[in-house]
Amino acid sequence: MTTTLARPLNWENETEERGLTIHEIVKAASEIIAPLGPISQFAARSPWASLEGQSFEQMVRRFKDRCDIELLPNDSVLQSAWNHGEMDVEFLEEGLQLWLEQHDFELSHTDAVQFCRTALTQGPPSSELTALPEVKSLAKRLSDFNFHLHTRKTVKPLSQCFEQKEGDGKFRDLNRHMIKWCKLFLDESQAVWSMPNREQGFYQAWKRMACLDPALSLEARKQIKHLPNEADIALVEALSQLGISDSETQEYLEAHLLALPGWAGMMLWRTQQQIKDSSLLTDYLAIRISMELILLKPHFPLSKQGREEQVRLEPLIAAWIHWGNVPIDKWHQLSDVEQKARLNLARQFDKIVRNRLWLEAWEKTYEKQLMEQILSKQELVSEPNKPSLAQFVFCIDVRSEPFRRKLEQTEGVETFGAAGFYGLPIETCKLEQKHSHPSLPVMSKPQFKVMEYLPESQYKPFHERIEAVHSLKGTFKSMKHNLLASLLLPEVSGPWLSMQTLARTFIPRSTGRTFKKLLDTWVMKPDVRLTLDRMEQSKSELPIGFSEEEKVQYVEQALITMGLTDHFAPLVVICGHGSRSINNPYAASLDCGACGGTSSAFNARVLAELCNFPHVRQSLKARGILIPEETIFAAAEHITTLDELHWEYLPKLSAKAEEAFTCIQAVLPQVSEQASAERISKLPNLKFNRKNPKEEAERHSEDWSEIRPEWGLAGNAAFVIGERSLTEECNLEGRVFLHNYNWIKDKNGSLLASIIAGPATVSQWINLQYYASAVAPHYYGSGNKATQTVTAGIGVMQGNASDLLSGLPWQSVMQSDETIYHAPIRLLVVIQAPTEYVERLLKHDRTFQQKVDNGWLRLASIDPEGNWKSWS
Amino acid sequence: MTHNHDFISLPTAFFIVLTVSMVSTIFLLYKKVPVHLVRYHIGLLSLPPIVALWGLLANNRTVMVGPWRFDSLSWLLALFVLTIGLIVQRYSVRYLFGDRDYRKYFALLTFTTYADTLAWISNDLRLLLVCWGVTLLGLTLLIRLHKEWQVARKAAASAGRLFLISWLILLVAVIWMAQTTGQWQLSIVLEKNNLAQLPSWERTCINLLLIIAMFIPSAQFPFQRWLLDSVVAPTPVSAVMHAGIVNAGGLLFTRFAPIFSGEAAQIFLLVVSGFSVLLGTGIMLVHVDYKRQLVGSTIAQMGFMLIQCALGAYLAAVIHALLHGLFKASLFLQAGSAVQHREIHSFKSRQIPNLWVITGVILALMTGIGYLLTSGGEGYPIISSFILGWSMLFAWIGLVAFGNGRTGRFAGLTFLAGALLMFTYIHKSLDSLLHETILSGMNPSCPAIIWVLFLLLGGTAVGLWLAHKRSSTAFTIIYLWLVHLGEPHKDVVESHPTYLAKSLFYRGESK
Repeated sequence: MTTTLARPLNWENETEERGLTIHEIVKAASEIIAPLGPISQFAARSPWASLEGQSFEQMVRRFKDRCDIELLPNDSVLQSAWNHGEMDVEFLEEGLQLWLEQHDFELSHTDAVQFCRTALTQGPPSSELTALPEVKSLAKRLSDFNFHLHTRKTVKPLSQCFEQKEGDGKFRDLNRHMIKWCKLFLDESQAVWSMPNREQGFYQAWKRMACLDPALSLEARKQIKHLPNEADIALVEALSQLGISDSETQEYLEAHLLALPGWAGMMLWRTQQQIKDSSLLTDYLAIRISMELILLKPHFPLSKQGREEQVRLEPLIAAWIHWGNVPIDKWHQLSDVEQKARLNLARQFDKIVRNRLWLEAWEKTYEKQLMEQILSKQELVSEPNKPSLAQFVFCIDVRSEPFRRKLEQTEGVETFGAAGFYGLPIETCKLEQKHSHPSLPVMSKPQFKVMEYLPESQYKPFHERIEAVHSLKGTFKSMKHNLLASLLLPEVSGPWLSMQTLARTFIPRSTGRTFKKLLDTWVMKPDVRLTLDRMEQSKSELPIGFSEEEKVQYVEQALITMGLTDHFAPLVVICGHGSRSINNPYAASLDCGACGGTSSAFNARVLAELCNFPHVRQSLKARGILIPEETIFAAAEHITTLDELHWEYLPKLSAKAEEAFTCIQAVLPQVSEQASAERISKLPNLKFNRKNPKEEAERHSEDWSEIRPEWGLAGNAAFVIGERSLTEECNLEGRVFLHNYNWIKDKNGSLLASIIAGPATVSQWINLQYYASAVAPHYYGSGNKATQTVTAGIGVMQGNASDLLSGLPWQSVMQSDETIYHAPIRLLVVIQAPTEYVERLLKHDRTFQQKVDNGWLRLASIDPEGNWKSWS
Repeated sequence: MTHNHDFISLPTAFFIVLTVSMVSTIFLLYKKVPVHLVRYHIGLLSLPPIVALWGLLANNRTVMVGPWRFDSLSWLLALFVLTIGLIVQRYSVRYLFGDRDYRKYFALLTFTTYADTLAWISNDLRLLLVCWGVTLLGLTLLIRLHKEWQVARKAAASAGRLFLISWLILLVAVIWMAQTTGQWQLSIVLEKNNLAQLPSWERTCINLLLIIAMFIPSAQFPFQRWLLDSVVAPTPVSAVMHAGIVNAGGLLFTRFAPIFSGEAAQIFLLVVSGFSVLLGTGIMLVHVDYKRQLVGSTIAQMGFMLIQCALGAYLAAVIHALLHGLFKASLFLQAGSAVQHREIHSFKSRQIPNLWVITGVILALMTGIGYLLTSGGEGYPIISSFILGWSMLFAWIGLVAFGNGRTGRFAGLTFLAGALLMFTYIHKSLDSLLHETILSGMNPSCPAIIWVLFLLLGGTAVGLWLAHKRSSTAFTIIYLWLVHLGEPHKDVVESHPTYLAKSLFYRGESK
């Protein structure tokens, strides 16, 4: 990374606020938070997607200053990664030298190197050292002699400053009120008595109600009554009464958004979904800042806070005593210039720089290990000349890699990797569901809608059966919420529930399977069909199905992207993946990230069906992709919790495909057993059932008390874009996303560009989401699963009430309360292509170049001769 | 006192298995013992409930062993508390795996549930006090399990304070009782001639003290705070708390029934519990956090249990307490499933099938009247048959009347019949097990019955009326008050669980 030149403590917000409307300022401020959707469609999102214009380190500093959270792995994590042999000291030294080269101190190189090296490897000076009277007097003397180091103070909410000064919980009160109003307003769980007046918008509803809220003082209620009727006016007025200048407004709003990033993120998400909610975030801020004003009013006038803060010199002197071997008396012998230089070095080589150097050493070590593994296995790879029996296309997801490795051991099986939405920008609507799901990466918008349907004769009985199941749940719920019926409900349902509880607790696996079987037998879901052909309908909605031309276009694009345009096997299986877990609010986080947090089986099936249309094949032939008649496309779902392939769509097979199918069916049980054995051993276990990994995997998926049904994408570290032959012989330990790419077939580089813009970005977001959840589990992760409560049907909170939590729970990245499982390192993208390809890519794709330059991911490439080049 | 050698062995066996599993839990506390041995602990833990079940089925008379009393109620309560404890511990083996306080958690849970069990089988008042005190202490420590988390510490401190007050009040009441009657043995204290020594004003005072002491663990108004704040505890701890400990009031009043019968203090109990039923239901209706809704529901259910006690229907109260415990434990343990998947159907938008609804009304009337006639037709059964008829109608409408097509109605009817059969069966068998042990109190006075009916019907009516006047100021005010009363205390809310960010290691380390 070469962007550390930016002066760290002088981060300036350079937006020119003057002349902007309050809505525009809110919009600009909202980039500091990420939108947060409902947990049932858990989306892979980078918390910092809009901040990539700054370097990673700048972002880290910004959050340290503003919210006091550390976004680099802490010392003990780094230390244990070191002990674990995941860090090469050479890279640390290399990073240090580079840093010193980039910074100029008027100090001898040896002194500086010695100081920094010790600082990197030894613990920080004790607090007693900083508090020594000698240190204090020296610091005073130095500051008298004009050693003033200033830093710009970050803008914080006034209530927070007030709380810090007076110890009066104003900021906490404000947060508590906001949590309450947000959850009541956003509730989707159909609370029997939902918040009144919600349809009038957040601000209006709040204003009408808060003036009656018994949680507020009479005086406060009176003031709420007299607030302006419009949210934007109220916001501007509150800001001016609090004395926030125009130039500070954006930063002030950002500080407020960062206080509860989850609830604010949910508001932001809503504004992006529907036009009627488009001013929701302004409403939120108007309420929040008006409330702040009202809470603080009794304490007006507030003491003004300065814009600048003096840097304390004591810690810097202590650092030199501790690391630099410069005792107090030696200070006096130093010249002014040297004293200044030393203090400056100690200030600049702070914890963030040190930990960043460590982190980079960790990342480079991983890169080196990956490089050695890939390059050493290159000679072993044999060119596949034999015609293959079956070809499987998997999602790039890191969990596909171990399964593919096991599957490929079968003679004649080839596997491919592509993003699991298979390039289909669709919104899916399953049978019996009113709402449809955008089944594509969250950064894009769906363009088509595909629905499941049944012929009327089959639909009606099915519908009746499924309604019967729903009516049981519905009746239970409505009895629970009825005063009289709720008093009897425990006595009626108690015995049944306790039988279920006993069974689920003591024989989780068989109970889960039995329940599932019973339900399946009752529901008897018939084979559904998909609305693939374009249907006539109103213009305002998304078109249903594809036109003939679109079908050809999407199939062609998908086949080219996955690198499967010739040598078709008789059986081609498009695999989606999904997870199975129960009693898990985070179930969706284990599904396909490229499909917006749902199983990608639906997309796989759509693609497979499209590929089988004769006219599609006809048109493809004209475009140079010849799919033999005997080749049949099928679709399957890779169940990641069970390591099984479930057939999702199996058309009538040709003779050769049938042969392949029989062969595959015969080996699948073995493949899945081997894959389970490898995967289960990585999950924390109690040695209950080590002999039978298959059963253990089934238990994980059916046990309602299982806190870690699977590891999900924890451990993800790299994204390889290249031929499968590159990694075929490597055991990548389920840490690598794999996307097929053949540069020879991509003369103009457009394919590479689209892989980078789509799948690579999804992977980067997933990676940063795991990273953030591991380094800041309380802020960007969602905390301990055992103390969560589901709220409003849309998300979870910790304990009694908290921010709406985003990111992954504690248990998804930690193997125990003390030990991290997921290595928090940034994604390494490896491209197999000549250097010119990568150069061209960086030149054309500014966003990607920015990611690389600013350290949001790392980039390496392997050229055709097998030379590894690091671009970061 | 009976001395029968066939039965003496069961209590002995019971204490042996209790001791053995207690030892295993202490053993597990040592860091050197491999943690996977927890499964043997669970195995040992399942022995006491088995012995209790055996005792319940084999025993049909009262046996006194030292200070312990073994009758069918003790066996049943022991079975209930120990089973809840066992289920929750088995659940926690995976659910809390990796937790910093894993070992301590199992020890605390074992101590708490065992102390609770012993409290209900002790006949000596001093022993009962000690055991109940240990239970409350254990519960406080369980709420405080993640002690690094300041919110948990504060919630535990405030719960602990209330528990201490409750325990001290109980202490005063018990000492008063023992001083006046000169006995510590509960069974002797409650004998008629001993009770006769109590002047009526003393009796009323003791009753009031007992009621207040029991309001606190049952989270009745105005002591609901601790239960509302204890949502910070890990899910399985909440399950134990809501299933096995909040219902102490009902069990204690049942045990103390003779001293409690026909007293003016019961009016007080009726009024306050009645209010708690309404408050709890209201909290459940307006709040949107799943666990907070469950807390509201528990407050209401415990209020109802205390109403049953006040009306002298101790058997009904015990049955309600036990079944509610199992019900609530199940709901807590499946709290992870509460995420909305937007597919819950609503039959409200469909046309009302009048004929089916009328059939339901007739059926409900018949059920209610039939139940009333078979159960004597006086006192508490009036209320219970009313609730039964109402619920029958409710379930009929949801399951059958709005059933979709023939299949839907058939399935609905099957569910309804299954529920009804199970209900009858459980009630019949518990009734036959307990009717000798549990005294039925005196029939309550007519005004008391009318008051309860008025409360329940009035509450329902007001609820319906308000639901149709959603934009009125009255609704807003009541809504906001319910929200306010159901909110946690401001000291036990933290916007982010900062304690988590401390002291982490990466793989391999610190194993």
